[in-house]
Amino acid sequence: MILESRKIGSVMVVGGGVTGIQAALDLADAGYFVYLIEKSGAIGGAMAQLDKTFPTNDCAMCIIAPKLVECGRNLNIRIMTLSELAGISGTAGNFTVTVKEQPRFVDLDKCISCGLCAEKCPKNVPDAYNAGTGRRKAIFLKYPQAVPLKYQIDAESCLQLKRPGSCGLCETVCDAAAINFADTEKTHTLSVGALVLAPGFEPFDPEPAGIWGFGKFPNVITSLQLERYLSATGPTEGNLARPSDGKPVRRIAFLQCVGSRDENKCGKGYCSSICCMAAIKGASVAKEHVPGLAAAIFYMDMRTHGKGFDQYYEKAKNELGVRFVRCRVHGVEPQGKNGDLRLRYINEQGRQVEEYYDMVVLSVGLGTPANMLDMADLVGIQMTPSNFAATSDFSPVATSKEGVFTCGTFAGPKDIPQSVIEGSAAAAAVAGFLAPARGEMVRKLSWPQEREVRGEPARTGIFICHCGSNIAGLIDVVAVERYAATLAGVVHVQRNIFACSEDTQQVLINAIREKGLNRIVIAACTPRTHEYLFRATLRAAGLNEYMVEIANIRNHTSWVHPGNPQAATAKACDLVRMAVAKIALSVPLAPITVPIIQKGLVIGGGLAGLTAALSLAEQGFTVHLVEKTNRLGGNSLNLKHTYTGEHVPMKVAKLIDRVLVNEHIILHSETVVSGVEGHVGNFKTTLKNANGRSRTVEHGIGIVATGGKIYAPDEYGYKTIQRVVTSLEFDKLHDLKETHVKRGKSFVFIQCVGSRDEERMYCSKVCCTHSVQSAIELKREDSSRNVYILYRDMRTYGERESLYKKARQMGVVFINYELHGKPRVTSNGKSIDVELWDHVLHRPLLIKADMVILAAAIVANRDAENLARLYKIPLEQNGFFQEAHAKLRPVDCTTDGMFVAGIAHYPKPVDESVAQALAASARAATILSRQEVTLDAIKAIVDPAFCDGCGLCIDVCPYHAITLLEKAAKGAQAVKIVVVNEAQCKGCGLCQGTCPKRGVSIAGFTLDQLRDQVRAALQA
Amino acid sequence: MGFEPKIIAFCCNWCSYAAADLAGTSRIQYPHNVRIIRVMCSGMVHPELVLDALSHGADGVMVIGCHLGECHYQDGNHKALARSDMITELLDDMGYENERYSISWVSSSEPDRLARAFTNMTERIRKMGPVDLQNPAGQ
Amino acid sequence: MAVRAVLEWLNSCSGCEIAILNIGEALIPLVSEHLDIVHAPILMDHKCLGQCGEGSEIEIPEADIGIVSGGVANTEHLEVLLAMREKCRLLIALGTCATHGGIPALMNGQGLGEGIKGVFATSGTDPCSVPDVGVPAALDRVYACDEKVRIDLFLPGCPPNPALIAEVLTAVAQGRDPVQPGKSVCDTCQVLREGKGAVSKVRRFLVNADYNAEEPVQRMRCLLEQGFMCMGPVTAAGCAAAGLPPSCIRVGVPCRGCFGPVRRDGNQMLDMMNALASNGIDFKSVVDRRSLLRFSGAHGLLRQIRTRPVRERG
Repeated sequence: MILESRKIGSVMVVGGGVTGIQAALDLADAGYFVYLIEKSGAIGGAMAQLDKTFPTNDCAMCIIAPKLVECGRNLNIRIMTLSELAGISGTAGNFTVTVKEQPRFVDLDKCISCGLCAEKCPKNVPDAYNAGTGRRKAIFLKYPQAVPLKYQIDAESCLQLKRPGSCGLCETVCDAAAINFADTEKTHTLSVGALVLAPGFEPFDPEPAGIWGFGKFPNVITSLQLERYLSATGPTEGNLARPSDGKPVRRIAFLQCVGSRDENKCGKGYCSSICCMAAIKGASVAKEHVPGLAAAIFYMDMRTHGKGFDQYYEKAKNELGVRFVRCRVHGVEPQGKNGDLRLRYINEQGRQVEEYYDMVVLSVGLGTPANMLDMADLVGIQMTPSNFAATSDFSPVATSKEGVFTCGTFAGPKDIPQSVIEGSAAAAAVAGFLAPARGEMVRKLSWPQEREVRGEPARTGIFICHCGSNIAGLIDVVAVERYAATLAGVVHVQRNIFACSEDTQQVLINAIREKGLNRIVIAACTPRTHEYLFRATLRAAGLNEYMVEIANIRNHTSWVHPGNPQAATAKACDLVRMAVAKIALSVPLAPITVPIIQKGLVIGGGLAGLTAALSLAEQGFTVHLVEKTNRLGGNSLNLKHTYTGEHVPMKVAKLIDRVLVNEHIILHSETVVSGVEGHVGNFKTTLKNANGRSRTVEHGIGIVATGGKIYAPDEYGYKTIQRVVTSLEFDKLHDLKETHVKRGKSFVFIQCVGSRDEERMYCSKVCCTHSVQSAIELKREDSSRNVYILYRDMRTYGERESLYKKARQMGVVFINYELHGKPRVTSNGKSIDVELWDHVLHRPLLIKADMVILAAAIVANRDAENLARLYKIPLEQNGFFQEAHAKLRPVDCTTDGMFVAGIAHYPKPVDESVAQALAASARAATILSRQEVTLDAIKAIVDPAFCDGCGLCIDVCPYHAITLLEKAAKGAQAVKIVVVNEAQCKGCGLCQGTCPKRGVSIAGFTLDQLRDQVRAALQA
Repeated sequence: MGFEPKIIAFCCNWCSYAAADLAGTSRIQYPHNVRIIRVMCSGMVHPELVLDALSHGADGVMVIGCHLGECHYQDGNHKALARSDMITELLDDMGYENERYSISWVSSSEPDRLARAFTNMTERIRKMGPVDLQNPAGQ
Repeated sequence: MAVRAVLEWLNSCSGCEIAILNIGEALIPLVSEHLDIVHAPILMDHKCLGQCGEGSEIEIPEADIGIVSGGVANTEHLEVLLAMREKCRLLIALGTCATHGGIPALMNGQGLGEGIKGVFATSGTDPCSVPDVGVPAALDRVYACDEKVRIDLFLPGCPPNPALIAEVLTAVAQGRDPVQPGKSVCDTCQVLREGKGAVSKVRRFLVNADYNAEEPVQRMRCLLEQGFMCMGPVTAAGCAAAGLPPSCIRVGVPCRGCFGPVRRDGNQMLDMMNALASNGIDFKSVVDRRSLLRFSGAHGLLRQIRTRPVRERG
């Protein structure tokens, strides 16, 4: 216990990409203080550079931006930009870390990111954020939505820094006096209990090796550059034009596996996992941008193994008309002088083909650059031969060094959802490790007593911000001030050079107190970035934080009407009048708190359920673990080795032991869920056991880990021919050294049995690797055996590729087949005949097999439907649970407080199931670690004076937050009224938009407020 | 000076309002005739607000939400779309030209698209002229 | 001291007046103790233009309370209404015609000329225009009373609820604020409600609703949730006698909206259509949506639809 107590409740997360951000947010929300160190000037990482994300084609920036902002505002996350890890000492639980911070030359507290400096800066350089496709100034903002939203000077390009006295224009124009040329490198020494390494990746650079003429032919670009060309904020504002001559692109080709699966030219043997989907997305989006665009993807295997990916692939192929060509291109050459490119390849019919393209996109892979390898060395963790952080499949986020965790692409190539899952998983692992120190380092703010202003007539104070010259340079702020003073209820008007500056906050506080102001209007920039700041100021002044309204006279006025000061001034007056009208109807809102039952419920006792339960228990939470059968372990009991060769039965047995002895875990075996009530923080679930006895447990969160099952094939003679077996059956026979296996000389594996067909358009993800492992084993036992794998696309993604390579080296024969030409399996009673068309030899093939092994699909459990109904969490069309967001909320369900992990979510291998289970635990811990949660007060409020329970709003609510209540009131007749569950309500206002009688409205955005705002806009 | 239309634009906090912010940051220009009303979701806008605006002197009303499938609240924009079809038909019943109302989708990173929507609407309304409140449909 | 009251009817069918009589026994103490009715064309010989319409000046005595039924459709209605306003301290609009135009305001949907042509001119009649000789000239459309004069109290209903009339008259006579329902028909409707999300289309009421007449209405599923066009949610409550379900719904018939909108400036068509669209119900399944304004077509809500000149699209 003495040792335990020495653990420190703060954590360093290295890397401010989406993975690090997720880890930081989950840790901060679970009671740990986080130092988030980021090498560049702003967090966001590679995702912030993407245009769209697969498979939903969501705008990448739109979905990551809220996370960035959340990170920037979290009291318990300290973002340190331009910083790198420089040294580490101490032991797990109590590390001393030194961090080197490069000078920014711009004062973070003073810069208001108005952009004047960059406008005036004379030095123009290529922009790394745009992957070199565009240019920026020597003083620059990494990207428009950057967090922190502050400029920085690039010392290597700045004229003034290189030769003092030669420029300094930025300093002259900066109204906020934020430029500091004397800034120097700083060293910080920090004490942390654990580290999470999430530095990400570097895209493969095809230039040094001159791959396909990259660097020589301007129209050969990387996939990352394509993202920037397609982005509305990119150098061409989304117009797809040839870099060579700006001509519109009519034909585009994608070449896969550049810097992946290629040891000869690129020195990278692994598969980067994401490039197939990225190329399909690139082609699909490009086709959207350019009607009639011809897009072709040249590939070896189409690896679309993730959730929803195969459907995305099929849509691109069949609906959008993207052409997929299975081959390796053997030449990209310029055709003529105008930038056209000629591609040469041998097609599937064996003919040499030449095609011409305007643009060739290299789908570059992911890799770990030298500086990250140095960091790994510095910290002292082991790396894999492919240069990714080495981890175990059963603890996929723990490095070889105790107290140091990892996640994201640094721990192996992977897509965003899997990275986000690992970010959360790392948070869970850290939280388990530092459990005794939870809450020790977190910060909380305290506020003065709030003054009661209900019933007072409006005493509105208006503060008009000059924003240096950003507003005052165009808008006649004196005229606005004069006008504002004439508005009803306004008792105080004041102008400020910077309304957001530290000293102005004190000015506001004094004015509120001295003048007895009860409503505040700030005419400045956007509420989306500054509302929280002014709310805090109101709280500090003892005024309810919701009594402020912001008139956006900068972003929506001065910045967009530069040539028209008169109109801009008139519009500013309008916006102030509208804000005054809206705030007049505001009432103080009390924060909503929901008590939390600090217990969890995990449904499913397989690998994912066991892992999640144990992780929660190790964080100190009581967990009810519900298992349908009388045996723990689930599908993992059928497995022998993970892809890295770890022994599954031993690891699972150990895990079960730890679960059984953990005093925080209450096991309910042979039990199912039969009823559910409540919501996040307060669920009541009824459990029914095999004897028919029911009991109700209370819990704050729930994790669904009900797994899946193997598909029972109808095809390939499975039901009629004795030696046609599924892969799991084969494993058992193999294990038992069954005679036919032992003596067998010819084995045929058939892939995609029940997967990727019309009925189940998804990849079962594990079967390729599984068959390859079995094939290797068969060959190892007896190299004279003939082992064939009949596949559609070999999907040994990531570092699994080494198994595929090994199998080929050992002589396993891989034969490709297509969906329309499935193999035929027949038997004459003695041997089994497998017939199919060979695409390389272009002739039919007959294989005499002793045994045929079917890689049968993983399908969803039928009882998922019941749970889905009870907890109101939707299933997708294949019966797997639907996550809240495919990209950024991959373990959360749409019902708050419910999470999903393992195969119940989608077929996945051991390491990914474990990671997702840990992630679910981390997400759950952000709720369970509090006694109560405080929610934003912008929620639906029912007005009993108007609501009559007509029920129009009930089914309109996307969160099932509205229920009809019948209450016996005065007299005999019952009164009907709807009630809103505040914990479930998200404040979207769909109810308000539906109600014909003002029965329900969103606090802060009531229909009357919006109406008055509109009417105010139309006055004058 | 000629006719300057007054246009009310209900902008969703998560997409079009943010795009309007970004239009500012990117110094993209658009007509000064638009007044933005910030709402949490395009599905929050009660049709009554559209009619109220037109009857109080707005010459055009816009509702701008997230792209379909990208709603911050699952399907609020689909509700807005269903209402919108209805509003478009009812405007005729109520005597307003239905071109005075528009619904569009803009993500938070598409300031150009937003500016284009504002510009197009302003030009469209400018051609139509003001609402005749006595006789909205020009009867 | 009884208060002096006058009654007048404008574009009225006299149903409102019958509703007053339907107050029943309670009417006796009301007229004998609280009210001193000094002018009421339906009850008394004295009319506003003399007993047989021979007068040339409108004669309405001064009164504390004026009750006016019917909307304003012609110049005579308007003159009488203006006189009522002038002579009465407190003016009550009685019935949906007076408060929202009522059924006669359906005329507003096609315009006066079209109405005359469509209703009065048949193939057998001579062509005619709107008559204005020997009869009061028609106004351009049918107005609710508050579009022309200030109205102090609104008592909608077609017909209005006698109990509510009694309550208002008693309250006014006693000098207190009357208790009037402020919510929708659903407030007093006790049917089973779960949500409207399962409905995809609304039907006209051509087949019986699913309910058992032997059972109390409390066992019946909400008619809107059964897919019928029930206007309860957008219609002011008041038709039911205390403690009873709304009159139509009590017998398994959907609400037609006769009490007008819930909020006085509400729009039954817009609100109903919005309620449908928001719930994912195909609003085009409403066969004649303009008929949702069948009781509240005044206030400019129901308008003549004309094909608009084609404008250049921007």
